[in-house]
Amino acid sequence: MSKRSRIADEPRHWPLHLFVLFMVAVTLYPILFVVTIAFSGGQTLAIADVPPDATVWQQVRAVLPWPQHVSFENFRSLFADQPFGRWLFNSVLVAGLTTFLGVFLACTAAYAFSRFRFPGRRAGLMAFLVSQMFPGTLMLIPLFIILVQWLNLGSTYTGLVLLNTVTSIPFCVWMMKGYFDTIPKELEESALIDGASQATIFFRIVLPLAKPAVAVTALFSFMTGWNEYVQAATFMNREDMYTGPVGLRFFVAGFSQQWGYFAAGAIVAAIPVMVLFMFLQKYLVSGLTAGAVKG
Amino acid sequence: MARTERPVSHRRRFLIGLALAALLGVGLGASLLAGSLAGERRARVEREAVVTLSALTAVVDRASGGSVTEAAPAEASSGSDNGFGLGDELAALDQPAATEPAEAQGETVRQAVARFAAEHPEVTAIRVFKLDGRQLEASTDPADQGDKAAPRTLVLEEKPLFDLGQKLRAAVEGNREGAEGAARAPEIAIERKPESLSLAAPLERDGQVIGMVQMDTRTRREAGAFSWGPFLAAWLAPVIVLLLLSLILGERRWVLLGAGAVLLVAALWGYGRYALGTLSAERRQSSQTVAAHVGEEAKKTEALLAGLGIPAGQPLEPTLWDMDEHRQSRGLLSSGLAVDEGRLGEMAGADAGRLTRSVATLALISLLLLGFVGLGWAARTGAALVEHRVAYAYVTPALLGMLTLVFFPFFYGVVLSFTNNSIYTTDKPVSEIWIGFQNYVDILTDFQVAKRTPEGLDWNYENFYYTLAFTIVWTVSNVVIGVSLGLALALILNLKGFALKPVYRVLLILPWAVPNYITALIFKGMFHRQFGVVNKILQLFGGPAIPWFDQPFTSFVAVLTTNAWLSFPFMMVMSLGALQSIPADLYEAARVDGATRWQQFRSITLPSLQPALVPAVILSVIWTFNMFNIIFLVSAGQPGGSTEILITRAYKLAFEQYRYGYAAAYSMIIFIILFAYGTWQNRVTKATEAIG
Repeated sequence: MSKRSRIADEPRHWPLHLFVLFMVAVTLYPILFVVTIAFSGGQTLAIADVPPDATVWQQVRAVLPWPQHVSFENFRSLFADQPFGRWLFNSVLVAGLTTFLGVFLACTAAYAFSRFRFPGRRAGLMAFLVSQMFPGTLMLIPLFIILVQWLNLGSTYTGLVLLNTVTSIPFCVWMMKGYFDTIPKELEESALIDGASQATIFFRIVLPLAKPAVAVTALFSFMTGWNEYVQAATFMNREDMYTGPVGLRFFVAGFSQQWGYFAAGAIVAAIPVMVLFMFLQKYLVSGLTAGAVKG
Repeated sequence: MARTERPVSHRRRFLIGLALAALLGVGLGASLLAGSLAGERRARVEREAVVTLSALTAVVDRASGGSVTEAAPAEASSGSDNGFGLGDELAALDQPAATEPAEAQGETVRQAVARFAAEHPEVTAIRVFKLDGRQLEASTDPADQGDKAAPRTLVLEEKPLFDLGQKLRAAVEGNREGAEGAARAPEIAIERKPESLSLAAPLERDGQVIGMVQMDTRTRREAGAFSWGPFLAAWLAPVIVLLLLSLILGERRWVLLGAGAVLLVAALWGYGRYALGTLSAERRQSSQTVAAHVGEEAKKTEALLAGLGIPAGQPLEPTLWDMDEHRQSRGLLSSGLAVDEGRLGEMAGADAGRLTRSVATLALISLLLLGFVGLGWAARTGAALVEHRVAYAYVTPALLGMLTLVFFPFFYGVVLSFTNNSIYTTDKPVSEIWIGFQNYVDILTDFQVAKRTPEGLDWNYENFYYTLAFTIVWTVSNVVIGVSLGLALALILNLKGFALKPVYRVLLILPWAVPNYITALIFKGMFHRQFGVVNKILQLFGGPAIPWFDQPFTSFVAVLTTNAWLSFPFMMVMSLGALQSIPADLYEAARVDGATRWQQFRSITLPSLQPALVPAVILSVIWTFNMFNIIFLVSAGQPGGSTEILITRAYKLAFEQYRYGYAAAYSMIIFIILFAYGTWQNRVTKATEAIG
């Protein structure tokens, strides 16, 4: 291909680079902003003070996402003076138990939906898919009355785990069923001929084969539980039972303006899930599109 | 297989079905009746305790110098139900405190309370305290002896007592200011313990709550025996009759079904009549007992006041002592302290109405069971369960989980949406707060979207249709921005030989990875009017500092920016995936045919993108429609609820206004919208699949 024809055919790259660089700047700015506040050592939102008769440089300095003095004080204080460690522990516990319960229930159900034809299968599958569509917030009102007012489970791990599981089960069933559908049935049939029981087949053959899918589903379920805000905020009223997200909101809600703690806490809470997400992102895309196309 | 060859006996099925259905219907009916009777007995004990408390309050009120002046014409006629509680009446008549010095007054109160306690052996403790100065005026509590004896100030451990007083004061004041018909807070606190009751009433002077009278009283448990006779009769009689009938009717199944249904309904109706009679008798007895108690208390009180030489002043109003916890007279007693037959009849009528509804519901449930068993569906279901037992075994754990965690709450949510359940009525049975379609009618028929005022249109942001329209605008703008940005970036990053592609890709995905509540809070900070970085940047270029959340439009821009930031990477990744799967030789062939770039884009790129983009758009519509965190955390609906979307509005109705029933109806409407959208998109996807 000669240079001439390429120029005629292909658009010039440098204006496109400008556009993409602009988008990258827009993307990175809020993230760098949080990092700046977190390492500033203070609680204020402002990166730098702007006096009324500020010079252009002072004005520019106030929007540059880099702290004036780098300090780890916010991180130290977050764990030493604030109950953030306790909140993170709550988050780990709730997200972990939710994942365990959700994935366990989802595996058996997804396997049944994938392998057996039985009365009620279609209705059950539809119910799972429909409930995947509407958000947990809609279920919050009846669940709140049942769990808090009837069963008195407000501000308890049990209550929040049950609540979060509701949101996670349909997603897990969806992901797992898609994977079980791809495992050839012949394996199980031959095992059946060899005299294996149904339980043996499920636990010894199918589950080991589905290990990667179980792992991915579990990780996503954990991430969802870890990032869940509204249910925890409604449910956990006692300060020592807050989860990470609720605690972070607590720092900057109402008249409280502890932006330094918020920023430091946000970094601590977000980094693990962001790393995890970058690794798992392609599974999510394939899982979502598979489900969406199937309807 | 031998079992199915034998002809099934319809007679046997229907007899079993009727026995089970009647057991279910009559059994549930019997347990409802037992519950009502026990409730009535409990209520009677509480009513008596409230009467005693009212008498005590009247004594304390007079002993402390209230209500001593001459009586003005009483406004609240006896037995009326027009909202004049004891407190209002006293307040209207009270005069400034008597001339007696406070010391002597306190002594009179203590004497009166001591004598009152002596005359009421069932009362274990009485405490009177004033909110002002936290002064414990009098106490007969065994713990308050020696150096803890009244009068003294309340100590720190007694803070719950003081808080209760504050709560009652707030309730009285709130109810007085509150609109007519609004939910009222109880003005008498009743704490129920297994063997005793602890009651508290506010003490008023000149219309102000100045203190509280608290009384602990033992309760005697009135056990009512359950009568098995009517229950067994209503259960077994229809079965025996059907057995005899079936000897004549033979194996005709529809006739059997009809006969069974008639017998079942008759049995339930009969049991209902019996239940109504029992309940009325119990209510009558309650009223008589309470009336007798009121008479007794009135005599005791008069004697006590006379004995202590306290001027009776304004006459006692014992007929008002039988009041509910809102201090409204129940109006069941006429002025002569006899039972008001008219009111009793009204209550019996209300009971009958409720009972008819419950009997109808029970009849429906048990008829379904009769049909289910009698017509052989039970046998078929059983057979299916046995045949597919392996599959059901696998589904069971998840199914149990789903039933208790998803389907039951969902069903309960549907039921809630037909009630006016609120924070004040959560412990009432559904039948008492059932209001049918009222919530739906209120939400859907309110077309007051905007009012025309001289300054222009005045939008009603609370209106459902406004919020719906805003939600649609919000969803569409977000998806349009997301798709255009995502697609543009994907097209650029898909260019052959574009430098730094992988770096760009990773950096541009980052917003998707950031948990969205963190994104929301960051942007909330960045849009801060005074310290926010967005305004700092605007000022750098000579712009003004915008108060973002003070105007609906700027507030919308703020939430839109936030959501655009976090949602374009998803679209970009989906488009990029689809673009990479387009075979390169398609473009090669097009170029050979002399197609321009635009033509290539139109006829190759766009059609190939469609299978990936359609599901992505569908998903992102649902996500954005339900994007709770961004709205809730960034704008919080400011200003005035103008940037609220449906789901945040429903949340606030439930958890900030505590209108659970109304909010449940709101949620159901949202669910129906989503469900309709889902069904429609399903059809569209199927169509695109068929084309593609």
